[in-house]
Amino acid sequence: MKKQIFAFAAAVAVAGAAGASETIVIDGSTTVGPIAKAFAEYYMAANPEVNITVSESGSGNGAKAMVNGTCDVAIMSRPMKDSEFKAAADGGAQPVAHVVALDGLPILVHPSNPVQDLTVEQVRKIFLGEISNWSEVGGPNKEIVTISRDTNSGTYETFAGLVMNKEKIGGKCEYVGSNGAIRQRVQSTPAAIGYAGLGFVDKTVKALKVNGIYPSAETVQTGEYPVARPLFMYTNRYPKLGSTLYQFVTIHLTEDGQEMVEEIGFVPVTAY
Amino acid sequence: MRLETRKLLDKAFSGLGLISIAVMAIALLLILTPIVWRGSKAFVFKGTIEHRRVMLEQFHRGNAEKFNKDYAEVVAARAPIYDMLTDFEAGTEQRVSSIETEMDAKKERAKELKAEARVLKREGQTEEAEKLEAEEDRLKDEAKALKTQISELKESRTEPLESVIDALQELFGPMPGQRTPVLLRQQYGQTRWDRTLVKLHEVLYTEEWDYSNADAMGILIEKPRIDQFIGTEMESFFPYLEENISEMMQPRRTFYWQFITDKSKDSHIFGGIWPEVLGTIYLTIGAMIFAIPMGVIAAIYLCEYAKEGRIISFIRICISTLAGVPSIVFGLFGLAFFLNTIQVSDSKSVLAGSLTLSLLILPTIIRSSEEAILAVPRAYKEASLGLGASRWHTVLTVILPAALPGILTGIVISMGRAAGETAPIIFTAAVSVGAPLKLWQTLSQPTPALPWNIYNLCTEHEAVDEIRHVQYGMVFTLVAIVLLLNLGAILMRARISKKLRG
Repeated sequence: MKKQIFAFAAAVAVAGAAGASETIVIDGSTTVGPIAKAFAEYYMAANPEVNITVSESGSGNGAKAMVNGTCDVAIMSRPMKDSEFKAAADGGAQPVAHVVALDGLPILVHPSNPVQDLTVEQVRKIFLGEISNWSEVGGPNKEIVTISRDTNSGTYETFAGLVMNKEKIGGKCEYVGSNGAIRQRVQSTPAAIGYAGLGFVDKTVKALKVNGIYPSAETVQTGEYPVARPLFMYTNRYPKLGSTLYQFVTIHLTEDGQEMVEEIGFVPVTAY
Repeated sequence: MRLETRKLLDKAFSGLGLISIAVMAIALLLILTPIVWRGSKAFVFKGTIEHRRVMLEQFHRGNAEKFNKDYAEVVAARAPIYDMLTDFEAGTEQRVSSIETEMDAKKERAKELKAEARVLKREGQTEEAEKLEAEEDRLKDEAKALKTQISELKESRTEPLESVIDALQELFGPMPGQRTPVLLRQQYGQTRWDRTLVKLHEVLYTEEWDYSNADAMGILIEKPRIDQFIGTEMESFFPYLEENISEMMQPRRTFYWQFITDKSKDSHIFGGIWPEVLGTIYLTIGAMIFAIPMGVIAAIYLCEYAKEGRIISFIRICISTLAGVPSIVFGLFGLAFFLNTIQVSDSKSVLAGSLTLSLLILPTIIRSSEEAILAVPRAYKEASLGLGASRWHTVLTVILPAALPGILTGIVISMGRAAGETAPIIFTAAVSVGAPLKLWQTLSQPTPALPWNIYNLCTEHEAVDEIRHVQYGMVFTLVAIVLLLNLGAILMRARISKKLRG
């Protein structure tokens, strides 16, 4: 019995030494998640010896994982905050940002909602709880159900910065943990209003015009659509040139990478 | 109490008992039926030719020769619809160009008239010249009208066509001659017959919302797409598509048992759930490796060695409290302690997840082992000690074997719990996408796992409506794994008990 155990341990050790495969651990935003997952799939198909894992736990968790050194790439839908940079620097890490795509933040309602167009001010008032009925913005007499991302989310922070002017969301707002969950809540609640990344818009929800501008690749890229932002991948220092990590964080610069970003529904950083 | 009252109460009580058992049975049925029914659809379903294409190209499975024959038939069946699309496009172009030639001719004529008018003006024939100029203006206006006609034509033909093509690509995959898309999900059409019908409906009908009643929410109106194409080359496109869809997709009853052992492709849109299944197995076994020795030894100490006193009862209270701590707290503890403080691995890992899970199930194992050890008749122990065996020897050879069935029950219950727990592994082990791990990789790498990925698929996946079957398949598999674990343990327990008795 003892001999067997030793043999087993030896086998594991040998195998471990032989198969020291490369890994990339990715953690963070649920908005950037689809891009990271597609890139991971794409990279692993070409390099089967590399294992890339993606977890989608929110931008804040991505930043924390980077600070704690528990991930190689932190995907974030907002820039790192000063406090996070400081925490990272104190821990000896130096986060470097790679902007992989652009994203508008469509304001989503149920497709049965006749409202087509809101101003930023109206959206802000809705989320402040000052406008609480659709009839106040030209819709039917129905109480508005506001749905927001949780405060750990980069999408929430973007929304808070660009729409809410840092004012606190008020009223009976419902907080959910991911972009997909926002879409599901809006799908199933006719009087709901929410916001999510561009890649999460499908025909089950309706994206509103904001200030008369519909969120699309063009209006996001030109900056006409008022609620837009870049999407980031952070690495600790710029990866060693030619390394697996370097190749991974530059996928978005290739033609294939741009096509993937576009097909998932986001906006490539540059258009060639 | 009078006898009748007592009888009545007795009957009422047994009635209540029966009712509660019935309610429980119904609840169980309500929960399990959909899980089994919908979950089994991940394994047994009507697969289209596209499913077989994915299997052949991505998993190198199936008879290539037969597939090629089938696929040739499918391509032939689909050819007419693509021809119709091309005809329609050509028709649009032809119309545009014929209008353009007309327009150009008019413009040309207008130019000529202008020149003639200038000549006439110079010669002093103003009246004639004005006539010509009027004619020129008329021609110019006509040309302008033709130009708007072209843009109208484009609007009425090109835009509807583009939306048909988009819908068609979702149904059949890329058009013939189109460059292969990078994303795997766009390289194939619908792999399942049920999804095919949904997508077919989207090709045949457009959705519009009627907002005419300002006081109410809009109403969904489905308009047949054919209305936009009546009198064009595309008129027979929709009836043809509807009638021949099964030739174009060749649905066949498919038993895809490899759903469990296949890797997922393009984040679960194709393929199976092997990384998740393997991850769950690793995590469960890992948790057992840490929890069983600790738990059983602790139980032995508490029952056999420790002197009853304040400290021991305090420890007992602690254990009971630990059993009641919410699992997410264990998850956060695991993150803070195993990952950030003692850093068992550089990132989330199966090791960290197993350690966290083992803490979660430790109280259950300790308590059940304790109960089992205490249930061993005192006489066994006394006899053993009386024969001169040492305490340690007694525990090892008499008490533990006799308590084994009880200990096993506790282990099995906690095993099921470890396999199904989500919260402790969110921060310590689980990721939404990853490759199946080799054994040694579990020490340093995170893994997908069934409970977390079920949650992840239904809340975070970008194409969740397309892959409901995967989600149910995962639920089904997880329930089946837990059930099998329990069954296996029950059998083992029965055998051991029998051996002990006999």
